[in-house]
Amino acid sequence: MDYAKRCQRIANGYYNQGLEKAKIRDLTGAAECLKKSLHFNKYQTDARNLLGLIYYEMGETGESLVQWVISMNLQPEGNRAEVYLREIQGKRGKLEAENQNIRKYNQALYQAQTGSDDLAILLLGRVVDFNPHFVKAHLVLALLHMGHGDYTKAGKSLQKVLQIDKNHPKALWYMSIVKANTGRAEVEKKKMDTAFSHRQMQDDDVILPPTYKETTGWLTIINIAAGLLLGAAVIWFLVMPALERELNHRHNQELNRVLEQVNQKNMELDSLREQLAAAETDRDSVMSDLQAMQADEEGVVRQYQRLVVMLKAREAGDMNTVAVTYTDLDGSLITDPDMAAIVEEIRSYMETEGYQVLANLGNEARDAGNQDSALGYYQKSLAVKGDNPQVIYDMALIYQARDEKDTANQLFGQVIMNYSGTELAALAKEARGY
Amino acid sequence: MIDFEEELNHYKPSLEIDQVEDAIGKSDLTDMTDIMMDLIKERKE
Repeated sequence: MDYAKRCQRIANGYYNQGLEKAKIRDLTGAAECLKKSLHFNKYQTDARNLLGLIYYEMGETGESLVQWVISMNLQPEGNRAEVYLREIQGKRGKLEAENQNIRKYNQALYQAQTGSDDLAILLLGRVVDFNPHFVKAHLVLALLHMGHGDYTKAGKSLQKVLQIDKNHPKALWYMSIVKANTGRAEVEKKKMDTAFSHRQMQDDDVILPPTYKETTGWLTIINIAAGLLLGAAVIWFLVMPALERELNHRHNQELNRVLEQVNQKNMELDSLREQLAAAETDRDSVMSDLQAMQADEEGVVRQYQRLVVMLKAREAGDMNTVAVTYTDLDGSLITDPDMAAIVEEIRSYMETEGYQVLANLGNEARDAGNQDSALGYYQKSLAVKGDNPQVIYDMALIYQARDEKDTANQLFGQVIMNYSGTELAALAKEARGY
Repeated sequence: MIDFEEELNHYKPSLEIDQVEDAIGKSDLTDMTDIMMDLIKERKE
């Protein structure tokens, strides 16, 4: 194979390694690879440009300019370095300011190497303030802090270096010393031991909480008392309200159930009362009907008895009994045709002759001084035959004699009005005082 | 333990901007390809 091509391949290989390391911010490692790449092929433009970019990232602006200028000389056309150079030189005063910062670093280094550490630290502080990516300035500053035993400040500077270049050998070395002197190394070792010492738990392993402490004496009593108070508070504020709510709920349920039963019983009672009232109504109705039936039966039987009495009296010629009994007879209840005919026969007798028998009985009673009995007979006589002015006049006289003037005058008036022109009417007028 | 003085002396001044031109002029751009070509040329002679 052609030696030139072989060298180019090797250069390309180193460039690729350098690019990979640059991507993971292993800037020192990347720079070494890129330098090797350029040793095999100085025309590897990408390697040179990337090397310049890494120098610039680490605060070495001069070194980066060297690489980019050489790159432009070796490949004037289509070179990315042109962009970088234009960027740096484009802003007026920026390049000069960076140059002043580099000079300040060189001055600080000189002061440090000549024993003026304090002045060097002061200058380096300003240098890194201006350009926080100036790795070499951070390293010298860290070294000076370490020389003064100020490992914390040294650690901060080294931390910034490692953020820029993760595997910077000097920074890692200084950092290990800083950690050893601040105890940080021991802490990290424990963390690493813990992180990688996990094992599967056994059955008899006991996990103690981080806050667990052995306590004795008064502290134990106080803890117990606090626990009791806390428990009581929990019971009082959490458990008791819940129990109270539960009890109230149960009581309400029981009360509702009892009230429901009472309502149901009341409804049953009302229903029973209604049934009782209906039964009583039915009973009364039945009793009334029964009494009516009994009365009717008694009435019918009595009418037939009266009829028998009247027939026997007529056979015996006792017309007074016939007349008196007739006035108590209800002929409508006698439905037997034969008996009804007899009743009709007696009724005809009463309307022609029998009414006078009653009037005579009334006269006898009046004459005997029994006015009530007399009035009773007169009324029965009028019930059989109303058109009888003599009886009406006689009744009026009795009422007049008893000083019942209104009734007497009414009866006299009937005689005067209905039978005017008769002798009785004239007597009635005289009795009224006309 | 670190030797502070010795360590400090390892640090070199950073390249200033106005020194860039000199640095470029002093740069040795000879690469392996050049060396090999010189060797091949010498052998042929």
